[in-house]
Amino acid sequence: MENKKLFQKYKVKDIVFLAIVSAVTLVTSAVMPLVAHVPIFGIIQIVLGIQFSMFPAIGLMKVRKPGSLLFIAVFSGIVLVFMNQIMFFCLALCAILAEAVTLIIFKSYEKDAACFMAGALYLPLSLPFLYVWYKIVGGTDTVASYANEKPLLAVIMSLAVIALCSLGSFLGVKISKELEKSGALKK
Amino acid sequence: MTAKEKSSIYPIFGVGLSLFIVLFGLITAKQVSSLYFLGGTYLILLVTGFHKACFRIIIPVLIVSSVFGVLTYLINQSVPSAVSIVSRLLAIGIAVIPGMSIRPIDLTRNMNQINIPRSVTLGMLIALNFTPLLSREIRQIRETMKTRGAGSVINFKILYRAFLIPLVMRLVNISDTLSLSVETRGFTLSGKDYSVYKTVKPSVKDFIILLAVVICAVTAVIL
Repeated sequence: MENKKLFQKYKVKDIVFLAIVSAVTLVTSAVMPLVAHVPIFGIIQIVLGIQFSMFPAIGLMKVRKPGSLLFIAVFSGIVLVFMNQIMFFCLALCAILAEAVTLIIFKSYEKDAACFMAGALYLPLSLPFLYVWYKIVGGTDTVASYANEKPLLAVIMSLAVIALCSLGSFLGVKISKELEKSGALKK
Repeated sequence: MTAKEKSSIYPIFGVGLSLFIVLFGLITAKQVSSLYFLGGTYLILLVTGFHKACFRIIIPVLIVSSVFGVLTYLINQSVPSAVSIVSRLLAIGIAVIPGMSIRPIDLTRNMNQINIPRSVTLGMLIALNFTPLLSREIRQIRETMKTRGAGSVINFKILYRAFLIPLVMRLVNISDTLSLSVETRGFTLSGKDYSVYKTVKPSVKDFIILLAVVICAVTAVIL
């Protein structure tokens, strides 16, 4: 069996594909500002769930290298740097955590299940991060306060986010496999 | 902003300014002084070369913040809560102004000058420049669906077969062409030395803008 290095060098075509995937994630997430201030825990993640799991899963299926998800998070976060810096750092941290968990379990992205898992974990991880962050910062109109006011709704929303992201990631893997089969998507 | 125009601010300063406006706006959101700060900052940006971005952003931001402000007041019956929401939305809207006035290429050059890895700068440049192009691609696929009589995207099967698969195919094709084009121009990710032909330098005006915004923040705190 071939012994491959865990951390492989990136080629220009890898970076370009990940950047394009990030751009399309941004384009399809344009609706987010409209719900950003709706006082329901996890509403943003519900709106972004499918896009932020399907496109990263597609990116990972083509560029199966550790760090791909972090690149997607950084590239798609460049617009957030100018309006929501907390979300930018949150997404970067979630990408690192999702990659770490996936690589501990699967050792690499060779298996499709690893790509599915990283894609499905990426956005749901932002829920606890934002809760803890706003719990520390404090305030009455924050994500943490919405969750504390209606804990049952927060649990239901969190489960819905996990379900949506799993569906999105599954779709991403399915689309990639279909395109791989037809020869359009090469690893 | 057209390709020939220059960025209105030194790109890294622009990022820092956006960060400062958002953070200060969020921290002081519950106080009326936050509105003074945001109003003052808007005026500073308006008279220092950001007028196009200022005019483009003000109407949507005012509409959205007014709607959410009124809704919050109706739900909570509390003026401070409404002020807080309005301040936050205004802070986010005004923080976007420096970003809108920075050309992606200037930001990339600036990042190259401060030795940020080329893989990051290349990706950022593509992500920023290709967002409008991909919106067009998505519109074209929707048009094609209409032409083929594929029906509504609400139907999952149609969404998957007639929208998602062609979209990902287009992404792969664009990516292949672009990476070939980038490599043909001699771009590599290796650590070899390279030249930045057009360097971006901060001007006196940039420092004046930063100083004016800081003075505005201090004044808002004192008031």
